[in-house]
Amino acid sequence: MQATDPIVELHDIVTRFGTTTIHDGVSFAVQRGSVTALIGGSGTGKSVLLKEMIGLLRPTAGRVTLFGVDVWAADQAQLQALQRRFGMLFQDGALFSSLNVQQNVAVPLLEHTALPVEECLQLARLKLALAGLPPDAACKMPSALSGGMRKRAALARALALDPEILFLDEPTSGLDPISARAFDKLVRLLSGSLGLTVFLVTHDLDTLLSITDQVIVLAGSQVLAQGKVEALQQLNDPWLRDYFSARPAVKEV
Amino acid sequence: MAAPQLQLENGAGNATLRVSGDWLLTNLLTIAALDQAVPADAVLDGAALTALDTSGALKLLQLLQMAGLNPEQPVLANFSVPHAAVLNLVAANFAASSAHPTETRMSWLAHLGRSSCDLFGHIAGIVSFVGALSIEMLDLLRHPAQFRVKEFAAQLEAVFVNAIPLAFAMMFLLGLVFTYLLGIQAQQYGANIFVVDGVALAVCRELAPVIVAILVAGRSGAAMTAEIGSMKANDEIDAISVLGLSPYLVLVLPRLLALLVALPLLVFVGDLAGMLGGMLVAAQQLEIGVATFINRLNQVLDVKTILLGLIKAPVFALSIGLIACRMGLSVERDARSVGAHTTSTVVQSIVAVIVLNAIFAIAYVQLGY
Repeated sequence: MQATDPIVELHDIVTRFGTTTIHDGVSFAVQRGSVTALIGGSGTGKSVLLKEMIGLLRPTAGRVTLFGVDVWAADQAQLQALQRRFGMLFQDGALFSSLNVQQNVAVPLLEHTALPVEECLQLARLKLALAGLPPDAACKMPSALSGGMRKRAALARALALDPEILFLDEPTSGLDPISARAFDKLVRLLSGSLGLTVFLVTHDLDTLLSITDQVIVLAGSQVLAQGKVEALQQLNDPWLRDYFSARPAVKEV
Repeated sequence: MAAPQLQLENGAGNATLRVSGDWLLTNLLTIAALDQAVPADAVLDGAALTALDTSGALKLLQLLQMAGLNPEQPVLANFSVPHAAVLNLVAANFAASSAHPTETRMSWLAHLGRSSCDLFGHIAGIVSFVGALSIEMLDLLRHPAQFRVKEFAAQLEAVFVNAIPLAFAMMFLLGLVFTYLLGIQAQQYGANIFVVDGVALAVCRELAPVIVAILVAGRSGAAMTAEIGSMKANDEIDAISVLGLSPYLVLVLPRLLALLVALPLLVFVGDLAGMLGGMLVAAQQLEIGVATFINRLNQVLDVKTILLGLIKAPVFALSIGLIACRMGLSVERDARSVGAHTTSTVVQSIVAVIVLNAIFAIAYVQLGY
């Protein structure tokens, strides 16, 4: 495959809940190997769009293609094959509370491969180490972890099947700035060395500025702009201007 | 897809380990270990490597380790840049992934000790809960305006009004079956009319209070624990405390009082339903008409009998409410804990109802009722 072929494509997505229209003709593409961020104000349907991309929520109209397969026309078997090729990090981690950390990470491996349990657990510990967790966290229960560690463990689970694309829903929300920056670096490192495509929903300006190749702005139920951060900062849109000026305002104080 | 292979080549100069094919998670199982001894200065040649992911890299390093090479610093040659990056990343984390974290398993003695302490803690928790609740109750007597009337009404609806059809149906069917079976025996002796005595006594004194209490324990007790437990897991209880309110006053007392009011009423509904069921069977099977049935009831069913049954209800209600609210408040922050505590509430309250009922039965006999 070429380095520039789109791995995810959205065509004219329309989403309505009752009479409320969330998306009205949203289209964009994510290139293989890139780090793409989706931004937008609260309530613009970022998380909803993410759910539609990974086959959890059916859009009212429009088409989503993942790896060239139409997600909402795929049958159960195709969808399962797709699900093995992406990893998803939920906002609060969504670790299974009845399993310890390494078992949590080993779940996808145990379910989708024929590898023996010990090997799965060792792979799980590798993913935990890649996600930056110390080895002694492997046998802790999720309830004993801090927020940052929980996110890392959830990232390790998303990485378990060596996915080609990683979806992250607000990966740095609820983390202190130091952990958040460390998490950004980790995502960049993984995307760089493993050739991962990363698609993330975020509110974090620092994440945007430091790790993204492309930013997609969702506003007024449509894609307002798409491009590199530097290009977006030059755009003369009131919402974007406010968005990017939020940080300098804090610095002045 | 090319099969992943690892082969040793002893050419001129250094020995070379040739890696080829797709080293991916999906074909990890097909990879065979090296069957030859490998010189310590062997070089890993990745020219024929077509694909590599972290799982494949880990497997490759494991094979190197088994062959006696250092997996953390493999000597690479001819690897493409991305493959070398993956391999180096995994090599850097190899030690952490092969470390065996020790899972602490407790011996049976430690288990016994831990469960004894847990049991003690549980009993102490109940005592402290009852204490705190009593203080709140005294406080409420001094400031009756603080009572949450709305919450109390909502609970009364959930515990009493919504439970009426279920309580009625259960006791009606139980009265039906009980009369039917009693009637078969009584008919043999021509003692048809005494079936009325039996049904009235059994339903009012034992069946209705116990069955309705068990129904409420399973229905409302479980709901209370799950609701309060989810609130606890969601920090809502802490939010109530921070607002200067007492969770006992806001959550526990309205539930407890609603149960105290509802259970006697439900038992009375159960009494009526049970005897109605009995009346139906008596008319059909035993040729005791409705008028005869009611006439006989009038002779044999004292108010005392009904009261003896009804008096048990508030005691059962108190135990169910205390157990349900206390278990709800002691939930920890995970889904499993909510489930475990809800189960525990149902088990504890049913056991409590049956034990209390036995104590009542003995007490009534000793007191000569």
